[in-house]
Amino acid sequence: MSNKVAIIAANGGLFDAYKVFNIATAAAASEKEVAIFFTFEGLNLIHKQGMQALEMPAGKESFAEGFAAAQVPAIPQLVEMAQELGVKFIACQMTMDVMGLTKEDFVDDIEVGGAVTFLEFAKDAAPTLTF
Amino acid sequence: MIKSDVQLDAKGLACPMPIVKTKKAMNDVAEGQVLEIQATDKGSVADLAAWSKTVGHQYIGTNEDNGVFYHYIRKCNPETSDLTEKTFEQTISNEDAVKGDGIILDVREAAEYAFGHMPGAKSIPMGELTNRMNELDPAQNIYVICRTGTRSDLAAQQLSAAGFTNIYNVLPGMTEYTGELEKEV
Repeated sequence: MSNKVAIIAANGGLFDAYKVFNIATAAAASEKEVAIFFTFEGLNLIHKQGMQALEMPAGKESFAEGFAAAQVPAIPQLVEMAQELGVKFIACQMTMDVMGLTKEDFVDDIEVGGAVTFLEFAKDAAPTLTF
Repeated sequence: MIKSDVQLDAKGLACPMPIVKTKKAMNDVAEGQVLEIQATDKGSVADLAAWSKTVGHQYIGTNEDNGVFYHYIRKCNPETSDLTEKTFEQTISNEDAVKGDGIILDVREAAEYAFGHMPGAKSIPMGELTNRMNELDPAQNIYVICRTGTRSDLAAQQLSAAGFTNIYNVLPGMTEYTGELEKEV
């Protein structure tokens, strides 16, 4: 059985963030080795300012109350938790270049790499998930 | 109230926090000890059982009281448990122990006993055995049982060393027991 979980985060909304970080922290808490490759809008999820104000999908704003009532942790808290549990964050160099972003725009302790960096990690991971 | 060694309050927390907190809390639990997790997240019922299975700990059970789930997990070391050689020579099968004329002594932790034991079995957790041997009658046959026969093997040796002679280790143990169960929950 593979002990690795590989995740591709390619979308930048609030719901996307929860899917990515809930699965990632749960996997890490289950003693899996976890890496997330952030690409295109997914970079939003670890952007220092961007992650503070992730948007809900249009028309779903009413979910805000539900999130508060269920005491779901805020995304920055989940990001911190994930890193504390050893989840590896890989930001996509190519997308950063396209968007004019540098490593300093993101939370600390991330790696920057290309597609091959992620593929190398994911080659013996099961499952590999895309959000 | 079920006895446990370490308690974790995860009430009010949503997924995946109960799991994350449980993982951290487990670091302070010694092998063989029982962790109680208090949670209000309904998903925690299925999740903690699945987590225990993945990580290799023993999921004992869940008790709901007033909207709070009390989960019990016993810390195991998947590399060593169940592989230990059993050396106590006098053994008896599950079936014969149930039918036998002696007393069944369950040396699992209190929480394991609470979630299901053989009818009429007496509970003395392994760690308390040395101090509670006076509760046992040396003239009676004593069938020592645990989950897989490992702890009961050690308990049988302890009792034997203390001078008890009518001691039997029950194999294969509760893990393979399919008969009637008494519960305290």
